[in-house]
Amino acid sequence: MSAETLTLKLKVWRQPNADTRGHFETYQLSGISTQMSFLEMLDVLNEQLVEKGEEPVAFDHDCREGICGMCGVMINGQAHGPDRETTTCQLHMRRFRDGDTIVIEPWRATAFPVVRDLVVDRSAFDRIIQAGGFVSVNTGNAPDANAVLIPRVQQEKSMDAAACIGCGACVAACKNASAMLFTAAKVSHLTLLPQGKSERSQRVLKMVAQMDEEQFGSCTNTGECEAACPAGIKLDNIARLNREYLRAMLCSSDG
Amino acid sequence: MAIAESQILDSKVPSGPVQEKWDRCRFEMKLVNPANKRKYTILVVGTGLAGGAAAASLAELGYKVKSFCIQDSPRRAHSIAAQGGINAAKNYPNDGDSIWRLFYDTVKGGDYRSREANVYRLAQISNNIIDQCAAQGVPFAREYGGTLANRSFGGAQVSRTFYCRGQTGQQLLLGAYQALMRQVSTGKIDLHPRREMMDLIVVDGKARGIVTRNLVTGKFEIHLGDAVVLATGGYGNAYYLSTNGNGCNVTAAWRCHRRGAYFANPCFTQIHPTCIPRSGDYQSKLTLMSESLRNDGRVWVPKQSGDRRAPHEIPEADRDYYLERRYPSFGNLVPRDVASRAAKERCDAGYGVNETGQAVYLDFQVAIERDGEAAIRAKYGNLFHMYHKITGDDPYKRPMRIYPAIHYTMGGLWVDYHLQSTIPGLFVLGEANFSDHGANRLGASALMQGLADGYFVIPYTIGDHLARHQFEKVSDDHAACHEALESSQSRLTTLASIGGRRSPNQFHRQLGQILWDHVGMGRNRAGLESAIEQIRSLRAEFWEDLKVVGKNEELNQVLEKAGRVADYMEFAELLAGDALNREESCGGHFREEHQTPEGEALRDDDNFSYVAAWEFNAVGEPATLHKEPLSFESVPLATRSYK
Amino acid sequence: MNWLVRCLSSSVGKKFVMGITGLLLCGFLVVHLAGNLLLYVGAEAYNNYAHQLHSLGPLLVAAEILLLLLFLAHVILAVVTTRENRLARRQEYAVKETKQGAPLLQGFAHNWMFITGAIVLAFVLLHLSDFRFEARLPGPAGEAPYDKAVRILQNPITFVGYFIGCLVLGVHLAHGFASAFQSLGVNHPKYNRGIQCFGYCFAVAIAVGFASFPLWGLLFKH
Ligand SMILES: Cc1cc2nc3c(=O)[nH]c(=O)nc-3n(C[C@H](O)[C@H](O)[C@H](O)COP(=O)(O)OP(=O)(O)OC[C@H]3O[C@@H](n4cnc5c(N)ncnc54)[C@H](O)[C@@H]3O)c2cc1C
Ligand code: HEM
Ligand code: HEM
Ligand code: SF4
Ligand code: F3S
Ligand code: FES
Repeated sequence: MSAETLTLKLKVWRQPNADTRGHFETYQLSGISTQMSFLEMLDVLNEQLVEKGEEPVAFDHDCREGICGMCGVMINGQAHGPDRETTTCQLHMRRFRDGDTIVIEPWRATAFPVVRDLVVDRSAFDRIIQAGGFVSVNTGNAPDANAVLIPRVQQEKSMDAAACIGCGACVAACKNASAMLFTAAKVSHLTLLPQGKSERSQRVLKMVAQMDEEQFGSCTNTGECEAACPAGIKLDNIARLNREYLRAMLCSSDG
Repeated sequence: MAIAESQILDSKVPSGPVQEKWDRCRFEMKLVNPANKRKYTILVVGTGLAGGAAAASLAELGYKVKSFCIQDSPRRAHSIAAQGGINAAKNYPNDGDSIWRLFYDTVKGGDYRSREANVYRLAQISNNIIDQCAAQGVPFAREYGGTLANRSFGGAQVSRTFYCRGQTGQQLLLGAYQALMRQVSTGKIDLHPRREMMDLIVVDGKARGIVTRNLVTGKFEIHLGDAVVLATGGYGNAYYLSTNGNGCNVTAAWRCHRRGAYFANPCFTQIHPTCIPRSGDYQSKLTLMSESLRNDGRVWVPKQSGDRRAPHEIPEADRDYYLERRYPSFGNLVPRDVASRAAKERCDAGYGVNETGQAVYLDFQVAIERDGEAAIRAKYGNLFHMYHKITGDDPYKRPMRIYPAIHYTMGGLWVDYHLQSTIPGLFVLGEANFSDHGANRLGASALMQGLADGYFVIPYTIGDHLARHQFEKVSDDHAACHEALESSQSRLTTLASIGGRRSPNQFHRQLGQILWDHVGMGRNRAGLESAIEQIRSLRAEFWEDLKVVGKNEELNQVLEKAGRVADYMEFAELLAGDALNREESCGGHFREEHQTPEGEALRDDDNFSYVAAWEFNAVGEPATLHKEPLSFESVPLATRSYK
Repeated sequence: MNWLVRCLSSSVGKKFVMGITGLLLCGFLVVHLAGNLLLYVGAEAYNNYAHQLHSLGPLLVAAEILLLLLFLAHVILAVVTTRENRLARRQEYAVKETKQGAPLLQGFAHNWMFITGAIVLAFVLLHLSDFRFEARLPGPAGEAPYDKAVRILQNPITFVGYFIGCLVLGVHLAHGFASAFQSLGVNHPKYNRGIQCFGYCFAVAIAVGFASFPLWGLLFKH
């Protein structure tokens, strides 16, 4: 595909830090190649801002290949922009038209306070994992890997859930800022494997409790998270979490 | 770079047959009384496979651990990006693999520039890693019956690679991250994300602490402990464009180097042949496409230089399948370095495609005609999808365009068999050390090494260090802390106040270009000498013309970048100097003066069978070379050939 | 019992309760609709049914209390969770677009659950004041149930209130019915489409069924 260039109007959320109120700032950008990624477009904006002596727009990113989960902004009201199963860093400018206005906002959730501009604090996710998103096995304790057989279908299902990149788009897109898809992905990943079975009750109870403590909303089965998820995590994981929770509540002594 | 005094380095490899060295070493090590472990604090910098595994394992043993990373969460270390898989000598497929064979392949693959004892240990431990990860819930690919699946990777003749779809690194890292978070929940690990290590604190010759900058508040902090574990990854980003993530840097390693840790074999860098080429100046990174594509893709360029026809309009007769032409028996499957150099050779000669002329075609037409589109989709669907997403081109219809890119760095801080650097108490793990891959890393071996170091080596060797030494109490107001803190602070203040015109990014891009042109795939004396000159003058310009905006005491990504570029500027000179010193071609290091008439690498075992470990003197002054001689007792020296 | 309270007061637990109360209310709606459909059979059938129902005595009281509790639990939790969900995002987006590409009605239904629920609540209050307490349109003493129903249904305000109320209830159920299954963990590729389809059909049947009464009352003046 040959490259064309675009002229764009950007409305970007600027906020110096968590304690200061933010506002939208408008920028004109021209000569944006359709081959650029969205973040490269922001790089170009930032280079121009630095040139002018203005502070560049802060945004999170690391791998720029859709796997680390560090990037992510709302683009015209859509988490990670218009493409399905695509992170912000993998979104390319050929998706936009010449003359477009692009509104860029940070993830918004009480549990994800803004750090600066488009950067938010997602450490609540770490604390959810910390509450129980693991298998308790110390280094050196493991039996031979083939000692526990896992049927391929089961492993594939677990892998589907394990693919979550922890980006937070599900929270950002959900009208309730619920972290259910993220939490459900981890609960599913582990509960579907024999290795994760022994702690399944505790895990789901503790992770949900932590999720609530972090002030994420509850799930009203809107499905927007699934549509926004770049890793293709499906809603049936949320049902599985609910099931696991019900099971833990009624049939285990951990409830 | 002039070479100063040489001195032989002690690698502390135990005596005895290679198979027994690790056992012997473990037996000879002193142990820390379990009740005393909680009295020791260990600082682990980095949360990739190496750092994450180390932090978790050390905390499980009872040590107090402080863990640091640049990203907002430990789960985002660049290990996450590894796609292909992880090797182990399990021999589950019953196809003749063994610890010895993995050991042999790795030494040979490293072109005889690694330490045999380390490599053997790595092969030995490889099996435990798979067990450990499976127990943590890493969803490795399985056969229908439920046993683990393997594939052959990177030209290995046995299937020893374990994988989780195309996301092996992600899943292994999440396993380590979860183990780490479990220890955070028990209070044994104190987590410090969004921190950048700015300096090492050395007290009485022992590594006792680090200076970090809180990237959110901009505040400098001192963290003290009884040992420091550095697992900060590779330095591929020195080249600006690489397959590394934004957070990868040389700063942590370089700061330790400046404090006395030797830097080994910096010129051993690996180029990956199948990356998506850059499309313009704005390009910020290069994306790797799995090597497996070369199993079915054919590499070609037009026979006519400057042929601007669309690929499908170029008839068969006008195509040059140069790999098949030059290497009839291996064809498109020659190793990474050979394939990379061949592509560069064609492009430099003017046959490259793409607007930039820096790309070659990887064509699936024959495979699609032979096996059908569905079969190709089943094998490579996700890769084709990724390619399509990035380039907007449909590889089912148009050949892919690929070009080599910097991918991995075999060089790193010098460590002994205990993974201890030349500064006692500073241990270096994972890609940040130099130890196991020699001059070239085999596919699926880096993940193995990171986890081996973190799960199964450091927990033993650090205990030996702690048990053998006295650790007097050090507090924040120790002179060494003051000095380290103040020098880091003033360095950043200086960077912020130069008041020039060019952004750190512009300098970085320029530096990257110099390195890529002269210290990339093909290197020669004239080029390296000129590179060193260019680096020096660019560094001088950097300190005069740098422009940083924003404040120091807040999240300031320009300032962060400036600090890292400042270190690349110093490091690049060592990189080029090492390449200049190594008058031979081996693995990823190709000196054009040292090749056969057919263009193959020529190793010089008589003169260069050593690890080049460099000691820092001063910026702009030659580093001192220390040699660790390498001997090959178990794997006889041989020459690679892929004709 | 401590465990039950603890578990049910989590975000997931609250949704269980909402789902269960919602589904039980759906059950009531079925019975209620069936009973009221006797209006179409004739006065005698309807009156007989009503008398029989009222002759249940204490059982009916128990059922009414249960019904009240269901409503209360459902409504209180609706208010609590909706409030929590609002607080989970203190600052709204300047622009928000869906990525689902779902049919318009579906998107509408789940975004407006609290509003549709509130309208249903308003309707139920109106309805109770009409039928249970006869506050708005008091009728003669000893009026037969059939006559009472017809009288109330013929009122134009009833028409507007009931007609809208019943249709909105349909919208509430269009999302609510299937949603309750997801909340209770019932989700399987084999059954999902079935539950979803049944949910829509159910919503339409309930809405059309109930909305037909005010229409009937207005159109077929006796
Ligand atoms: C695209 C790609 C694909 C790959 N595929 C494979 C494969 O298939 N198989 C294979 O075996 N290998 C593969 N590799 C190589 C392998 O992934 C890496 O070598 C390995 O993961 C490195 O792990 P690590 O723990 O040493 O470092 P990293 O994972 O890079 O972690 C570095 C850590 O250090 C932290 N850090 C760095 N600097 C500082 C600082 N100054 N202060 C504080 N913290 C700091 C970072 O935040 C991070 O947490 C691949 C590499 C890439 C780039
Ligand atoms: C006959 C009356 C009603 C029925 C049959 C009914 C049914 C349902 C059902 C089945 C659900 C789905 C529960 C779940 O997802 O787990 C639901 C959810 C809900 N209901 Fe009701 N409901 C009724 C009345 C009300 C009333 C009066 C309100 C009050 C305001 C209300 C507010 C809500 C809310 C806020 C939700 C949650 C939204 C969601 O889960 O998407 N409902 N209802
Ligand atoms: C529009 C058509 C409807 C008609 C004709 C109708 C008719 C009636 C009648 C005749 C009663 C009995 C009153 C009594 O006990 O004396 C009643 C009660 C009741 N109806 Fe309806 N109804 C309709 C719709 C609804 C709907 C849609 C709901 C729920 C959302 C509802 C909820 C109730 C409730 C809760 C009671 C009280 C039950 C009790 O106290 O036993 N009705 N209705
Ligand atoms: S579930 Fe999807 S959207 Fe949510 S954090 Fe994981 S990858 Fe991101
Ligand atoms: S969008 Fe929100 S409401 Fe539930 S289904 Fe997803 S978490
Ligand atoms: S930057 Fe890593 S997923 Fe986008």
